[in-house]
Amino acid sequence: MASRVLLQCVRSLGRPSLRLSAANLAVRATAAPAAARRPLSFAADSRRPRWLGQSSIPSVGVLCRQYGDLPPLTLETIKDRVMYVLKLYDKINPEKLQTSSHFMKDLGLDSLDQVEIIMAMEDEFGFEIPDAEAEKLMSPGEIVQYIADKKDVYE
Amino acid sequence: MTASTRSTVLSLYMRVFRIARTWQAQSGVTGDTETERKYILQEARTLFRQNQQLKDQESVKKCLEECEARIEIGLHYRNPYPRATYLPPMGLATQKGRKLRAQQRLRKQAKPIYLQSQDET
Repeated sequence: MASRVLLQCVRSLGRPSLRLSAANLAVRATAAPAAARRPLSFAADSRRPRWLGQSSIPSVGVLCRQYGDLPPLTLETIKDRVMYVLKLYDKINPEKLQTSSHFMKDLGLDSLDQVEIIMAMEDEFGFEIPDAEAEKLMSPGEIVQYIADKKDVYE
Repeated sequence: MTASTRSTVLSLYMRVFRIARTWQAQSGVTGDTETERKYILQEARTLFRQNQQLKDQESVKKCLEECEARIEIGLHYRNPYPRATYLPPMGLATQKGRKLRAQQRLRKQAKPIYLQSQDET
């Protein structure tokens, strides 16, 4: 009787992700006739709803570990974020902003504004840019290139 | 302005911004931390803009010294506001008697370096 109950379990839970538990069931099914019948049936009944509960969780089908990290950067996302931050800066006219527009010549900013912009980029991307290299970044395209170099983003 | 002073000025500006980013008020109150951070940024912006047009080396050097003094004092006492000194109107003694021009000259000399950009009221 216990083996019939167990076989019904195996048929109703016929999914590939549960092959392991089905194998356990098969092992227990073979061991069932040897052991006492009644306590095993109780055990099988108590185990069945728990396995049913567990079977609904892995709906993805692939069990893999997920570590906490940001999504990977691409050149497109870097460019979008840089342009977004620049548009929020109040001294820049959003209509005139292009990827290749020079801060000093095209947009009419001065070196203090450029320092503020580099600070805003540091805040956005979360890593420090040293002074010597920060002085040389004079257009959004150069900033994107620099960040891509630092973060090892290849296309 | 030479290239070296330019890079010194810009690195000081960046240093003030970096301090403002991670500033914690000594009182521990979050409102105070926010206020002081905004104050540091606002002071830096206004004073650097105000002195942007200076051309002679002496005054540029004086402003740089003022900036560094304020940074060091602010970091040491955890207080970004400059400590005001009080001097009564005819407070400084002169040799020849109480003349106004001598007073003004002595007052200018007696003003601490970190208060140079502040107006006397």
